[in-house]
Amino acid sequence: MVALARKTLVYEWRRFLPAILAVGFAGLLQLLQLALVLGIFGSTSLYITGSSADVWVGYPGTQSVGSGRSIDPNVEARILMDPAVQRVEPYIWVDGDWRGAKETGGVSVFVSGIDPSPNGLMFSKALSPALRARLTQPDAIVVDRSAVDQLGIGIGQTATINGHQVQVVGISSGLRALGGVNVLCSLDTARRLDTDSEDNGPTYLVARIRHPNHANAVALRLRGDRSFGPYTAWSARDFARRSVLYWLFDTGAGAGVLFLAGIVFLVGAVITSQTLIAAVNGSVREYATLNALGVGVAALRKVVLEQAFWVGALGLLGASVLGVVLLALARSQDVPVVLNVPAALSCIILVMGLAAVSGLAAMRSLHRVDPATLLR
Amino acid sequence: MSTATASKPSPAPALRAEGVCKAFVSGKQRTQVLDRLDLSIETAELTLISGPSGCGKSTLLAVLSGLQKVDGGRVLALGSELGQLDLHALERFRLQHTGFVFQGFNLFPALSALEQVELPLSHMGLSREVARRRARASLEEVGLAHRMLLRPAELSGGEKQRVAIARALAKEPELLFADEPTSALDAANGQIIIDILHRIASAHGTTVLCVSHDPRLVAHADRVLAMEDGRILSDRRNQPPVVDSHGTTS
Repeated sequence: MVALARKTLVYEWRRFLPAILAVGFAGLLQLLQLALVLGIFGSTSLYITGSSADVWVGYPGTQSVGSGRSIDPNVEARILMDPAVQRVEPYIWVDGDWRGAKETGGVSVFVSGIDPSPNGLMFSKALSPALRARLTQPDAIVVDRSAVDQLGIGIGQTATINGHQVQVVGISSGLRALGGVNVLCSLDTARRLDTDSEDNGPTYLVARIRHPNHANAVALRLRGDRSFGPYTAWSARDFARRSVLYWLFDTGAGAGVLFLAGIVFLVGAVITSQTLIAAVNGSVREYATLNALGVGVAALRKVVLEQAFWVGALGLLGASVLGVVLLALARSQDVPVVLNVPAALSCIILVMGLAAVSGLAAMRSLHRVDPATLLR
Repeated sequence: MSTATASKPSPAPALRAEGVCKAFVSGKQRTQVLDRLDLSIETAELTLISGPSGCGKSTLLAVLSGLQKVDGGRVLALGSELGQLDLHALERFRLQHTGFVFQGFNLFPALSALEQVELPLSHMGLSREVARRRARASLEEVGLAHRMLLRPAELSGGEKQRVAIARALAKEPELLFADEPTSALDAANGQIIIDILHRIASAHGTTVLCVSHDPRLVAHADRVLAMEDGRILSDRRNQPPVVDSHGTTS
């Protein structure tokens, strides 16, 4: 079979270039948007994903990590009684008001009080052992690299949080927060920074269990007991998803993503289908001649669809190459971007769907192919 | 392809029109283009339909080749009544039995001459090798053996029309329809095309029906039908051309 679709695409590439660019940029836009949203809202769960706890215990109804309430400290004993649990440690979340050495105005900080011991669970993936060790000093804090300018501070300098003096002992990376700045310190320091007199226990208890893939069952089992006041348990995975979804839909960002995806699809499809229709119209006499020679309209439709497929594939290739470069650039600039398999797949589906819809639209213009019109 | 090699008309006509009527309606204006027309076209002849523009000769070609339906009467092509065939069956009929050459050459800019000719063949269900062999043979027959790998942009007008003829010829059709095949060409190239069409009729036994107002064609056709206002005015048969010892016609 003569590869009419491909040969025409290569020979008349200028004609198809707008469609390839439209498809490519639609894909790229979608890809970057998704990666940014996942990155930004993924940061709302980095407390969970950056730690090695399998089960989280907190106040019932908590919708995201940042909106927990303190629970009874005696729950820890109850958790430890469960045979599946290996280790439990408290995690204290304190909302703080930052006053630095420089004039920065009010900066709200999220203080994470963690167990800084070398085998501590919290931020075990995000914090180096050396930095953890430094947190054992009283009133020592670690801030994220991305927030240094915002806080107007460097290593060794002091500032106050909730009126209490702290000293920066280290700079971490990959702990960018949404709507504030993450500050890490020891549990003792966090307790001193907490000005709420009603808080008399940790915000969360995090646990490592013997078989991490039993996390859901263990969380369910721990949930039943109410003898130590209100608390509940989630597997780390569930809690992370809960946090991200809360932010995604509470802030309207999720609806924004879907809306923009729709617009991108529409604009891409209009440009692409118009280009393909113009290409079909440009070859309508040749197609009509083939039809006169007995080549069926169905076979001609296949040629148009194949062209749409190649336009989609080439656009996708361009979008992938450019996307990888841009994502790497974003990463190097501490812009939170995350791309996972479902997100990449949804981009591929969007792009190929766009090409298919455009191909179908272009196929419709084949009805002008009437060989009788050649006899003039 | 027909195995007939005789240059004399055979008893059963390849094409027959019986009481064919065709009208075009544009707004409230109704134009009767063909009016109860009867016609038989014989096998293995080059038949020329000539007449002024607007006389209905292109419409006659369209209905005889099955590209357009008739309003009244019937068209028999190789024994099949074209009016009885649905769109799909008509496409199949054209695929198996007919070739077309148009005034515009209608070649795909991206394909080489060889690929232009191969393209319809691959849709006939022929294997790649057979299609390639037939395409080569056809291009050689129209004298383009050395230009096979060139694209339309690299060919002259006459060469393009020869590619278009090769494309039709490679299908080995029983019926070959040509609409004004020489009107876009200069005298020399027009002459080459006329010779090729005539040779196809005599050597392959193909029924060639050509519509043209080009007077150069008249002398080379086996039969000339003059048309005006949707009717055949005259039906004239030329003497077979004298063939000299070198095989060229005079």
